[in-house]
Amino acid sequence: MPDSLFILLVGIFMPLFPMSMVFNAILDGIKHAWLRSLLFIAWPLCGLFIALTSELIMPDWLMPLALFTSALYALRMLTLREVNQWSGFLATSLWSLLWLPMIQDTQAQLLYSYAISMSVPLVLLVLLSAGLEQRYGAAYTGLYGGLARTIPRFAGVLVIVVVAAIATPLFPTFFIMLNMVVKTISASPYAAMVLLLIWLLWSWAGARLIQGLIVGRASNEKIADLESTAIGFYSTVLLALAVGGIYLSGVIL
Amino acid sequence: MEQLIIVVAVLPLISALLIQLFARRIGRGIARVSVAATTLSFLLAALLLWWALTGHGPQAMPLGNTTIIMLFDPLSTLLATIILGISLIVHLYSVRYMAEEAAYGQFFVLLDLMTAALLVMVIAGDLISLVIAWHLVGVFLYFLLGQDTRSQTAYRFAFWTLITYRIGDLPLIVAAALLYNAYGTWSLTTIFSEIMANPNAHQVLGLPLTEVVAALIGIAAFARSAQFLLHTWLPYTMDGPTPVSALMHAGIVNAGGFLINRFAPVFVHSGDVLHGIFIVGLITAVFGSLLMLTQNDIKKALGYSTMGQMGFMIMECGIGAFSLAIYHMFAHGVFKGTMFLSAGSVINDARHDDGIPKDELYTFAVEKQPTKARQPWLLMAVITLAVPLVILVFAHLLIAEDYFQKQGAIILLFFGWVTGAQLIFATYRMRTQNIWRLVGLSVLSLVVVVLGYVVISHAFDLFLYPDPAFRTQLYTAATIDLLRFEVLVIITTLIIVSGWIVTYYTEQTGYRRQRTKRMWLNFYALISREFYISDIYTRLTRTLLAISGRLNVWLRWL
Repeated sequence: MPDSLFILLVGIFMPLFPMSMVFNAILDGIKHAWLRSLLFIAWPLCGLFIALTSELIMPDWLMPLALFTSALYALRMLTLREVNQWSGFLATSLWSLLWLPMIQDTQAQLLYSYAISMSVPLVLLVLLSAGLEQRYGAAYTGLYGGLARTIPRFAGVLVIVVVAAIATPLFPTFFIMLNMVVKTISASPYAAMVLLLIWLLWSWAGARLIQGLIVGRASNEKIADLESTAIGFYSTVLLALAVGGIYLSGVIL
Repeated sequence: MEQLIIVVAVLPLISALLIQLFARRIGRGIARVSVAATTLSFLLAALLLWWALTGHGPQAMPLGNTTIIMLFDPLSTLLATIILGISLIVHLYSVRYMAEEAAYGQFFVLLDLMTAALLVMVIAGDLISLVIAWHLVGVFLYFLLGQDTRSQTAYRFAFWTLITYRIGDLPLIVAAALLYNAYGTWSLTTIFSEIMANPNAHQVLGLPLTEVVAALIGIAAFARSAQFLLHTWLPYTMDGPTPVSALMHAGIVNAGGFLINRFAPVFVHSGDVLHGIFIVGLITAVFGSLLMLTQNDIKKALGYSTMGQMGFMIMECGIGAFSLAIYHMFAHGVFKGTMFLSAGSVINDARHDDGIPKDELYTFAVEKQPTKARQPWLLMAVITLAVPLVILVFAHLLIAEDYFQKQGAIILLFFGWVTGAQLIFATYRMRTQNIWRLVGLSVLSLVVVVLGYVVISHAFDLFLYPDPAFRTQLYTAATIDLLRFEVLVIITTLIIVSGWIVTYYTEQTGYRRQRTKRMWLNFYALISREFYISDIYTRLTRTLLAISGRLNVWLRWL
């Protein structure tokens, strides 16, 4: 099979448009939160495994297509309201950028750690989304709002998870993005500009998601907030992510 | 001793952590923890400032084997003290002001985190820490401005701030990446020493690296300091709590001036960029002041006033007066912080009694009654134009005789002269029984302000940039061709003096042509819509969102 065709097939797992739609279609079909979480972890790792073991010769069009895919999904995130779909689009936008360090011959171990670091905040978001579905029947931004007043602990965790997902310091994705910009800018300044634009779109989409969920008046109904054990779980994972981010920065920067 | 600067930045972080972990147990006492940590941090910063003033440092301190470096130098100690001073006042004010807020603890956590981020920003000795702190300031400010989670408006404008700040983060990241690729280190000290040794060693896209980096740093500073076209967030972020407005206007918005000062060794080799910075600052100062004059909302007027001041601060950098920008930042911070913190009381008092004395200022400004009996025109014209000039020249001669050799100094003198003349001109137009008393008081206040400004800014210059050769280099970098400079000075003078003459003529004759009247009305309409800049941005945003939505429909949300 020619390399180009094979890359397009790998593009199902390490998203390249239009194959990227496969992941989002599958995600849409899965209703169970833990299965979704598993998908978020396993999908990019499968892609990386296939790509790394097949000794591909990377064609010139690969980087522009990867950047286009990432930018396309980042732009489309702006008008998404369903939290799971939002997570899927962010995952697509993030994972498609994994092609860049791969083109730059980054070590396999680092690539796997990049993929996991990108996916973990999204897994947390998927779990929180399940929590919203349980409480409100749907995880939609802009539909009910007021989470900060109604379920403040849930809202607090949600905000930090979104902030972690959209590459904010000190979480790993921030350092991965910084590293990508540093490595890309000399060889291809325009690619670096697109990377920065994508980063900006993530922030925009993240702010829209947060605002649609947490802002507003408190609900009249009594809704259960996160329990202490759940807060402990989320806090531990987020802390581990931040520590991992600082560690990763020492390795890659 | 120098190591203490790390403790200064860490204390607010510890406070934030303690409040987050033990908020339930401490209850309303969380404010005491936060205030205590900020006070201690402020005292340590003041001690370090004294240490720096007595000639110690500069010193770069790496944290273990990491790339993180903290700087102990005049700029970091001075700004750390200023930030903590303002933060402490805001903390003390918030203890009671925010007492009825549901998220009282969260507010102090965010305030402490913001203080820590600002401190790391000013003491960062490496590009990574600087980029992280720069980015986090925007994120924390977004949540501080959105403290009232019931208010959609507060979040709407907090979002404007966030997105403008994120736009400003990007050029800083590009600058950091370019510098790292060129010099192979994140350390600012090393990069700057290499640039000073050989400024033209590297190029990017056929341009000198120093010029490109300086331009990028300039854009990052513009976004942070609300320069023209990146200013729309500033006047609208008034739905946040008053202490946050005070902190923002007195501290955070000044970060652009800090960044340019931190990268002074780059700007010293980037004369063209400095000229660009001057022009942007000038446009911002003029537009900000113009828009301020037309506001009827006190907080929005203060917002535009800050914009004008930030324009002036950036303009000072553009003429090579870097340390003056830092002094301006400090003076404006104290002044504007006070205004914001007292705005609530003023509004509250005004509801009961407008408190405006029916004196000459009232009759002039409110009743629009100019004096009937006036002094001889020529005498007043001479006083108006000559007195400020004499004061300014005398004050600057006290500092250094060669002061007038610098173009930057001439520009500042020019501004000082115009402002002073305008003050006396306005005084002269007031209705008063004793015009000489008013003129005398105006001149006295001008003398105090000018002398204070000149002497203190000179002290800042000596402290921040002790090397006279470097100071000269900064001014030289900002210098333009002498003929062009003189032509510009003459044109500007003519414009201003013509304005005065037209005003005088109109006042004397009461004659205003119909066509001119309509023109002024259109101009006022343009200002009242704030030059349609926010409308254009809103339209662009809606278009982008429409494209996003259309794409989702076409691609069936997959």
